[in-house]
Amino acid sequence: MSSVNENFEPKILVFACNWCTYAGADLAGLSRLQYPPNVRILRVPCSGRVNPQFVLRAFQRGIDGVLVCGCHPGDCHYTSGNYYTRRRYLLMKRMLEFMGTDPERFQTRWISGSEGPKFQEVITEATGIIKAIGPNRKMRDDLTIQAAFAQRDAEEEEGEAK
Amino acid sequence: MNPIAQEMQNIAKELLTSGEVTAVIGWEKGTFWYQSTPVMITSAEEADKLIWDEFCQPNLSKYLLDYRLNEGKVAIFVKGCDARAFNRLLQDNQIERQKAYLIGIPCPGMKDHKQAALVEESAKDSVPLAKVCQSCRYPNPVVYDRLIGSEVTPRATEPDFSDVMALEAMTPDERYAFWQEQHTKCIRCYACRNACPACNCRNCIFSDSKSGWISKDVNTSENQFYAITRATHVAGRCVECGQCEMVCPSNIPIMLMNKKYIKDINDLFGKYDAGIDIDTPTPLGHYKLDDPEEFM
Amino acid sequence: MKKVGVFVCHCGSNIAHSVDCAKVAETLKDFPNVAFSTDYKYMCSEPGQELIKKAIKEQGLDRVVVCSCSPRMHENTFRNCVAQAGLNPYMFEMANIREQCSWVHPDDMEKATEKAIDLAKMAVSKVCYDEPLEKSYSPVTKRALVVGGGIAGIQTAIDIANNGFVVDIVERTPSIGGKMSQIDKTFPTLDCSACILTPKMVEASSHPNINLITFAEVEKVEGYVGNFDVTIRKKARSVDMSKCTGCGTCWSKCPTKVPSEFELGMSMRKAIYTPFPQAIPNKPVIDREHCLKFTKGICGVCSKVCPAGAIDYTIEDELVTERYGAIVMATGYQLFDASVYGEYGYGRYPDVISGLQFERLINASGPTMGHLLRPSDGKEPKNVVFIKCVGSRDENKGKEYCSRTCCMYTAKQATLVRDKIKDSKVYVFYMDVRTPGKGYEEFYNRTTEKYEANYIRGRVSKITQEGDKLLVHGEDTLLGRPVKVEADMVVLATAMVSNPDAAHLAQLVGFSYDKDGFYTESHPKLAPVETHTAGVFLAGACQGPKDIPDTVAQAGAAAVKVTALLSKDKLETEPSVSVVDQKNCAGCGHCVNICPYRAISLETIQERVNGKTIERKVAHVNSSLCRGCGACTVTCRSSSISLKHFTNKQILAEVDALCLQ
Repeated sequence: MSSVNENFEPKILVFACNWCTYAGADLAGLSRLQYPPNVRILRVPCSGRVNPQFVLRAFQRGIDGVLVCGCHPGDCHYTSGNYYTRRRYLLMKRMLEFMGTDPERFQTRWISGSEGPKFQEVITEATGIIKAIGPNRKMRDDLTIQAAFAQRDAEEEEGEAK
Repeated sequence: MNPIAQEMQNIAKELLTSGEVTAVIGWEKGTFWYQSTPVMITSAEEADKLIWDEFCQPNLSKYLLDYRLNEGKVAIFVKGCDARAFNRLLQDNQIERQKAYLIGIPCPGMKDHKQAALVEESAKDSVPLAKVCQSCRYPNPVVYDRLIGSEVTPRATEPDFSDVMALEAMTPDERYAFWQEQHTKCIRCYACRNACPACNCRNCIFSDSKSGWISKDVNTSENQFYAITRATHVAGRCVECGQCEMVCPSNIPIMLMNKKYIKDINDLFGKYDAGIDIDTPTPLGHYKLDDPEEFM
Repeated sequence: MKKVGVFVCHCGSNIAHSVDCAKVAETLKDFPNVAFSTDYKYMCSEPGQELIKKAIKEQGLDRVVVCSCSPRMHENTFRNCVAQAGLNPYMFEMANIREQCSWVHPDDMEKATEKAIDLAKMAVSKVCYDEPLEKSYSPVTKRALVVGGGIAGIQTAIDIANNGFVVDIVERTPSIGGKMSQIDKTFPTLDCSACILTPKMVEASSHPNINLITFAEVEKVEGYVGNFDVTIRKKARSVDMSKCTGCGTCWSKCPTKVPSEFELGMSMRKAIYTPFPQAIPNKPVIDREHCLKFTKGICGVCSKVCPAGAIDYTIEDELVTERYGAIVMATGYQLFDASVYGEYGYGRYPDVISGLQFERLINASGPTMGHLLRPSDGKEPKNVVFIKCVGSRDENKGKEYCSRTCCMYTAKQATLVRDKIKDSKVYVFYMDVRTPGKGYEEFYNRTTEKYEANYIRGRVSKITQEGDKLLVHGEDTLLGRPVKVEADMVVLATAMVSNPDAAHLAQLVGFSYDKDGFYTESHPKLAPVETHTAGVFLAGACQGPKDIPDTVAQAGAAAVKVTALLSKDKLETEPSVSVVDQKNCAGCGHCVNICPYRAISLETIQERVNGKTIERKVAHVNSSLCRGCGACTVTCRSSSISLKHFTNKQILAEVDALCLQ
C-alpha cells in the first residue's frame, strides 16, 4: 500500500453484544492485552439487535470499518439472536460488497466472554488491514455529514428555544 | 377483442351482477398505446373497460390494500407474478384470503413499455419483453379461484442471475462506480416502493424524517442508504414481479439488487421462491442450526 | 436542552496513567447538552458518589454519564447513586474507559485520551435519549405444577411442599411411581428400588401440600411466569374416588384379562385395575377399551360387587383450569424399541428381552415372583448375554447420544444373574464401559472380578435360534476375532429416548426441545434446570438420559428454583423491554415468530377510520415475558417495535457521535 496511509488512523466501530463480546473485550482489558486504539465499542444487548441500517449509517458518516460481534452460535444469552445475526450478515456482507464496499471494511465475528485474546487478535488484524487500504471514501457523503451537523445544531437551538 | 379480454369482461359482469363481489380490479387502456393501467370497476356496465394486452404489466395485488376496508369481496385478475404478490400479502397478514376472488390468467409475458415508448405503434412487434418477463419461471398463477385460458410453458426453469454475476465479476471500485452512477440518478420518488407488493408497511420509515433513519436530502449517499435498505427489507420476500424497476423514472436497475439477495439466499440457505407457499417461513424469518458459518 | 453531567474517573492511576482525565472532562464541556463535566480520583468511592449527587442537585442535572470502568462492574452502583439524588436510575450511561481503553492502550496517552473522549461523547449522545424507566411488577400465584409423577416429579413435589408451597402433580397413568417402580434394584448400592421409592410415593400422597392428579394430562397452558393458567384433562376413571376404598373386590371379580403394561406384557391384569400392588392412589380405573361394559354393554360385575358403590360408568373426562406460579416438567422417558435391530430378533425370539423386562423378571413381585425364568419355556437360564448400546451411540439406526445409564444397569443385572443363579455365566457385549459416578467404577470392577462377568468388547452382528438356545454371533475387537456365544437368554440394554409426545407437550407449554425430543435447558452449564421460558423448569430424564441419583439431584434443584420464585410476592420485570407503536404497526407478525420467549402476540385493536370503527391486528409485547434482546426490532421494517433503553435513535446517536467530529 502507498505511503500516504502510514499516518492514517482509521476509526473502527465495533457492535458488541453485552453477554459475550463486550465481556471478552473487558477480559482483554483485565488481562492487559494491548491492541490498537482505533476501535470504539458500542454495547448492544445482543448481536441480534444490530440493525443492518446501523452499519449503513456508520459508513454513510464516514467510518473506516465496522465489526458486528456476538456470542458463538449456540451460546446466545437469548437462545437464538445470533442465529438471526448470522443469516442477516451473511447476506448483508455480500450486499455491501455488491454495492462496491471493500470487503475488508465489514466483518462479523463471534467472540465469547472468555476470548480476551481473540478480541485482541481480531481488532489488531482488522485495524492493520483497514489502515493499509486507507480511509473509506465510499458511501460517505460529505454533504450528508454537513447536513447532519446542521440538523444537530438546529435541534439544539430548537431545544434551547424551548 | 381478444378472447381473454372477452372472458374477463363476462366474468366481471357475472360477478358484479350476482353480487358475489362488490368490485373488480383489472386493467384498462391508458393514454398511450403502450400503457395499460389498473382500473377498479363496481358495476357490470363498466366491465367493457377491461382489457388484456401485452402491456398489462401492472401488478394488481397490491391494490387490494386500498380495499381492505371494503365490506364485500373484491375480484382481481392475477398473472403469475400478481398471484405470488397476493401470497406475499397473505403471508404478511395484510389481506384475508376469503375477501378476494382471484381470476387467474396464464401470462405470455409483457412487453417492455419503456422501450415501446421510444417507437411508433406500428413497430409494436419489435418491442421486446420486459426484462423480468424474459426469464419468468412462474407465468401461471400459483393461486386462483378460477382460471381463464390454459396454462403456458414457463420461459425459464432456473432463475437468470447472469446480470448479477456480471457485476460480481467486477472489482469493488468498478461496482461502486456503477452504483454511484445509478444512485446519483435517483430522485427518491419512492415509486419503486409504492409499486412493490412486499413494501406494505403502514408508515414507511422513509416517509417519516423523524424516524431518524434518513434525511429529506436527495443526495447519492442518502439514496444509497435508501436503495440498500429497501432491498434488505424485501430480501427473502421479493416475488420478482419487477414492478420496482418498471416504474422507476430514472431507469435504475433495481431488480439487480433484489436478484442479488435471491441468489445469495439460494446459495446460503437453500433455494427459495417467495410467494409460492405461504406456510414456509421466509429466509430471514427463521434460521437453521447448520447455516453456513463464515464468522468464526 | 438536556442537562447532562459528565463524571470522569481516574480509578487511582488505573485510568489516569494513560488517559488524560482532566482533558476528557474539559473537552466534554463543549459537547452539546453537557451542562457539567468534571474528573475525580475515585468516582465509585463515597466522596465520588457524593460529588455526583451534589452536582445533580446544584447543577440541576437531568441525566448523568460516568466515564470509568465497565458497566458490568459498576453500572448498578452508579444507578443507585443517581437514584439517591432523585433521578430515574435509567437516566444514566457509562463510558468504559478502563477495561476497554486505559488498560489496553497503556503506552499511548494521546490516542487513549482521544478514544476516551469519543466513548464519552457516545455515552452523552445516548443518555440524551434515555427515558425514565420503571420496573414493573406482576403477582405470583403461590402454587406449583409438576407434570409427571415418576421419581423426578415426586421428589420435586416433596421438596417444594416441604418448603411450604402447595404443589399439584399431574400424572398421565393411574398411579404415580413412574419407571422407577418397575425397576428391581438400583445401582451401585443394590437397594431395592421399591423400598426406597414407595415411602416417597406415600409421602407425596399424604403430604398436606401435595395434590395428586393421576390419570390426567395437561391440555392447555396460557399465561406466563407467576401466572400460568393450566387446563388439565382428568380422564374418566369410571370409579368414584371419594367412595372407593381400594378393597380390590372389583378387580378380583372382573372377568376380562388384558396384558399388563406394568409387567410389559409378561402377565395379565384385569379391565378394572391398579397398575401394580403398591399403586398410589390405590384405587382402580376402568380400561374402557377392554371393559365389556363399554365394548359390549354387558357384564357390570364390578358395579354389582363393589361394597362402596363406587363404580360409575357414566363418569366423563373433566377439564379443570388451575393457576400456577411455576411449572416443572418431569415427564421422564421411554425405552428405545429394540425391534428396529432385526438382527437381534427382539420380538421374534421370546428369550431376547429388554433390560426393563429383565427388571420385572427378577423382581420378587414380578410375573415370576423373582425367579429369573425364560419367557419361552419357564426354565432357568444358565448362560445370559447382555448387549449394550442398543439404540444408543448409533446414528444410523438409533440415537447419536449415549444413554448414560446402560453401562451401570447392565453391570447391575449381570451381578444379579450371577447372584441368583450360582452356576450361571454372563457375557456382556460392549463398545465402551462408562462409569462416571460415585462408586460406579468400583461396582463395575466387582462385576467383572467378584462376579466374573465376561466383558467382550465388540458388536453383536446377529442372533440366531438353535433349538432352545440362542446363538449370539459377534466380534471380540480386542482379540480381533469373531466370537459365538450360546445363550439361554439375551438382554438388550435399550437406549433411553424421549416420550413420543414430548415435542407436542413442549409446544403446548411453550419451551424448546432438541432434535431428539429432549427438553432444552436454558444454559447447559449455568442454568441446567431452567428452560428459556421463565417459570418453567426441568427435572429428570425429560431433559436427557440420566440415572436416579442425577434425577433426584436435579429434582431438588428444580424445587429450589421454584421455591425461590414462589417465595416472592411479586416479580420484578425487566424495564428494558420492547414496546410496539401500535399506530404504526401493520401487524405483519414477523416479530411474533422471531421472539425466543413467545412474548409477542398479535392482538386485535379497534380504530376509527373515515367514521367507521374497524378492527385490525397489531403486535403486542407481554413485558413480563420480554427479556430485552431486541431481535424483534430488526425484523420490523417500519421500526414500529422498539427496545427501551436501546432504541434505534439511541444507537444512531452513538454512531453519529463517533463519526461526526
